[in-house]
Amino acid sequence: MTTPTLDAFQVIADPSRRQILGMLTQSTHNINSLAENFDMSRPAVSKHVKILQSAGFISIQEIGRERHCILNQQGFNELKTWLNYFDKFWDSKLKNLEAILNNKIDK
Amino acid sequence: MKTEIKHKWFYNQSPEEIWEYLTKAELIEKWLMPNNFELKMGHEFRFKTNPIPSLGLDGNFYCKVLEIVPLKKLVYSWKGGLSEKNPTLETIVEWTLEAKESGTELRLAHTGFKEDNGSILAAMFDGWDKNIQKMLTHLNLH
Repeated sequence: MTTPTLDAFQVIADPSRRQILGMLTQSTHNINSLAENFDMSRPAVSKHVKILQSAGFISIQEIGRERHCILNQQGFNELKTWLNYFDKFWDSKLKNLEAILNNKIDK
Repeated sequence: MKTEIKHKWFYNQSPEEIWEYLTKAELIEKWLMPNNFELKMGHEFRFKTNPIPSLGLDGNFYCKVLEIVPLKKLVYSWKGGLSEKNPTLETIVEWTLEAKESGTELRLAHTGFKEDNGSILAAMFDGWDKNIQKMLTHLNLH
């Protein structure tokens, strides 16, 4: 497997990959129908698709002889992680501050 | 998609006291993280914590003081990533204090998450929320 391992943010950083995801929110596509929308070669599009697949943004379903790209929720969940992380982070820190301030008064 | 975090907290202490805990390095450390903060416009400082590899964070937050309104408002940048030179997280932390009858309301806005591609993501998530969920359910993938 030569597909580089990228985190969700690196995956999304590439405009072509964002465009692919955007197209897949409209309908499912196979590699050929995706490739028609890009100037790059079919193997190049295929490589982006593999990156998106390995990061969990899309899954590939074989329907007959066609391989269809379909959006997958998993990759999108990871994008929310930073926000979730800092949301909880600040909540716990603000509680800390309250505890420290109140503790100071008690003493 | 949501690109900001907001919190509001009420403390029984005065704005003066809360301000101390937002602006003195040794007091900030008590509730937040070790740091070398100084209350000076443009001062660059760091918060240090443990690396979080799953989030691509090296355990340092690289910050710079952007705005100071004594006892009322403090704003600093908040960058993170796997190195200082190439931050993947470029956000802003804004503290606002408001005196209340019996204490202080402290508001935090942590904004700017992925603002470079936020609009594209937002558009995508709209489509996602409306249509794709149905498709996934239909395909029984989720």
